[in-house]
Amino acid sequence: MPIADPFLQGIASGWQVQNASLLENDLQLEADVVIVGSGAGGATSAELLSAAGLRVLIVEEGPLRTSTDFKMQEPQAYADLYQEGMGRMSKDGAITIMQGRAVGGTTLINWTSSFRTPPETLKHWASEHAVSGLDKDTLQPWFERMEQRLGVAPWSMPANANNEVIKRGCEALDLSWAVIPRNVRGCMNLGYCGMGCPVNAKQSMLVTCIPASLNNGGSLLYLARAERLQMTQNRVQHLECQALDARGVEPTGRKIIIRAKHYILAGGGINTPAILLRSQAPDPHKRCGKRTFLHLTNFSAAQFSEPVNPFYGAPQSIYSDHFQWLNGAKGPLGYKLEVPPLHPAFAATILGGYGEVNAERMAQLPNTHMMIALMRDGFHPDSASGTVELRSDGSPVLDYQMTPYTWNGIRRAYHNMAEIQFAAGAERVFPVHADADYVTSLNRAKSLIDNLDLSLYRARLGSAHVMGGCAISDDASQGVTNSLGMHHQLENLSIHDGSLFPTSIGANPQLSIYALCALLTEQLIKRLAA
Amino acid sequence: MSHVAQSTEFSRRSFLKLSAVSAASLSVLSLSASLTGCSNDPASNGFLVLRSDDILCLSAILPVLYSGAVAAEQMNSNLHSTLRAIDNSLASFSPEMRKLTVQLFDVLNNPLTRGPLTGVWGAWSQASSADVQQFLKRWENSRFDLLKMGHNALLQLAMLAHYGQPSSWQHCGYPGPPVLQ
Repeated sequence: MPIADPFLQGIASGWQVQNASLLENDLQLEADVVIVGSGAGGATSAELLSAAGLRVLIVEEGPLRTSTDFKMQEPQAYADLYQEGMGRMSKDGAITIMQGRAVGGTTLINWTSSFRTPPETLKHWASEHAVSGLDKDTLQPWFERMEQRLGVAPWSMPANANNEVIKRGCEALDLSWAVIPRNVRGCMNLGYCGMGCPVNAKQSMLVTCIPASLNNGGSLLYLARAERLQMTQNRVQHLECQALDARGVEPTGRKIIIRAKHYILAGGGINTPAILLRSQAPDPHKRCGKRTFLHLTNFSAAQFSEPVNPFYGAPQSIYSDHFQWLNGAKGPLGYKLEVPPLHPAFAATILGGYGEVNAERMAQLPNTHMMIALMRDGFHPDSASGTVELRSDGSPVLDYQMTPYTWNGIRRAYHNMAEIQFAAGAERVFPVHADADYVTSLNRAKSLIDNLDLSLYRARLGSAHVMGGCAISDDASQGVTNSLGMHHQLENLSIHDGSLFPTSIGANPQLSIYALCALLTEQLIKRLAA
Repeated sequence: MSHVAQSTEFSRRSFLKLSAVSAASLSVLSLSASLTGCSNDPASNGFLVLRSDDILCLSAILPVLYSGAVAAEQMNSNLHSTLRAIDNSLASFSPEMRKLTVQLFDVLNNPLTRGPLTGVWGAWSQASSADVQQFLKRWENSRFDLLKMGHNALLQLAMLAHYGQPSSWQHCGYPGPPVLQ
């Protein structure tokens, strides 16, 4: 094995790691702190709690896959590493939601973009959502600490041609752009971050905080779904989990009961509110699962005469926030411009159509660039917003309701993306929509976009960032937790993940989750010691 | 422009009195479809999820979806591996998403729902490319969200399955992942 697999080496050295799918009997476990979820929030918390001498147990619903398993193949990655086997969608089936589900959570499959929470966002939370103690200055040392921990630095190699389009187009139009900071060490610039890093260069939770916790006496139970919390009055008594089969799909019938002094939910947006909903946790103001945001994303494809090879190279290295805060936090919807990597299966579903139309678009893949606009949802009262509901089998689904305000942002973003693409030298641009196709001039693109019927199923929409649903607010009528991440009604329960955000972030959220959860965990350690 | 598509689409089939269906959910449709037992069929031999009816239906639809990307003489061998890939995808779906997809196939397979909703009145194995194209157009431009959702789901499954396979990569100029030393 030429490439080391530190996780497997750790297991061989005696880490306490258990595969719940293999359980032959029900199981009872105890810990000082049980953490549900091993992604950005859960693993960051686990490392710090273990370092403070607490006995930590991480419970993860997904499977354990390590660098040895990462073969850079889309079908395997989507089936193994993504929520619902890449089948997660909004309730109406119109928005594909890409979210991780494996040991390491979404950090295993994200595209490594690592932004600090924009100061505008933090100010908005303080003024509109009764959030305290999370201002820019308080968070700064936590951003610095997590950036050092995870090797976050602006990408120093040349951007790949797909990302270069943003830079070239923005420069031609005098729009602002910048280099994206990435959480990598020894990155080989392969381009397969979304399928699990095969060389352990991405500083995901799998190679950083989870090993650190396990090295300090922490333990990990995977393929175990946290089903519900059992409560008496204002305290959690225990956590009930179901063991899942090797695919992480069906329960095996084995149950796991976990008792702890303190409980942390870190399953991320959608899944954390779902545990509270299944538990019928106290929620006097009906806040749980409400105001869930997506950074709803639309797409603009462009063909260039020169090869772009959008499947190779660091997937995201250049962005533009030019249209993000143009009208302040609460004006017309702002958005961030980035690119996605385009591997064939993903590209074919985004480019849409079938038969000759899709075949022609796909034949041009090596010369195709794609741009995305991430809508900064949740800042304006008229913004689209989602609510987490439970299906009849207790699994969660997000009902995301579009609004004219949000469609207006989508239409402006189509315009801006086409402008940048043509300015960068695109021969043809395709605002990705069922009624559109490639057009050869900006004028034609603009009249096409102005006349598009912006509706679900016709405009191609996606999301890779689920945020909110268990909002932080010191006002219990507005949020599920206070500004310390403590549940308003249950005293030994905290939430440490992206579901805490009162709005979307306005930037890829991983570093916001790391820094916030590190801060909340330090505060929790002090409370637990008191 | 979709308004035009929708109105011609609607007039073409208005005689079907589909308004009665507008309030029905996929599960109600699927229930009526399953009354004749098709949704209770076990997975076809060697498959985890797909049933023999699903395979017949997909065998009619997939060649239309891949025309232009797969040479006619390779369509059959391609079909076999793609059905496997779709089956594997479905086996990794959450139980609820898999159920919804199976219900979609129920609706496509059962003659009671297939005819009125797809315009394909005979068996899928008898459907021409033109029939399949008509059906796809009809669902894409339907006024019923349920059918638009079904159209999306079908295309997504089919495209992910096809382009996930190395045999599809020559067409799209993808050299495949780099070889790591």
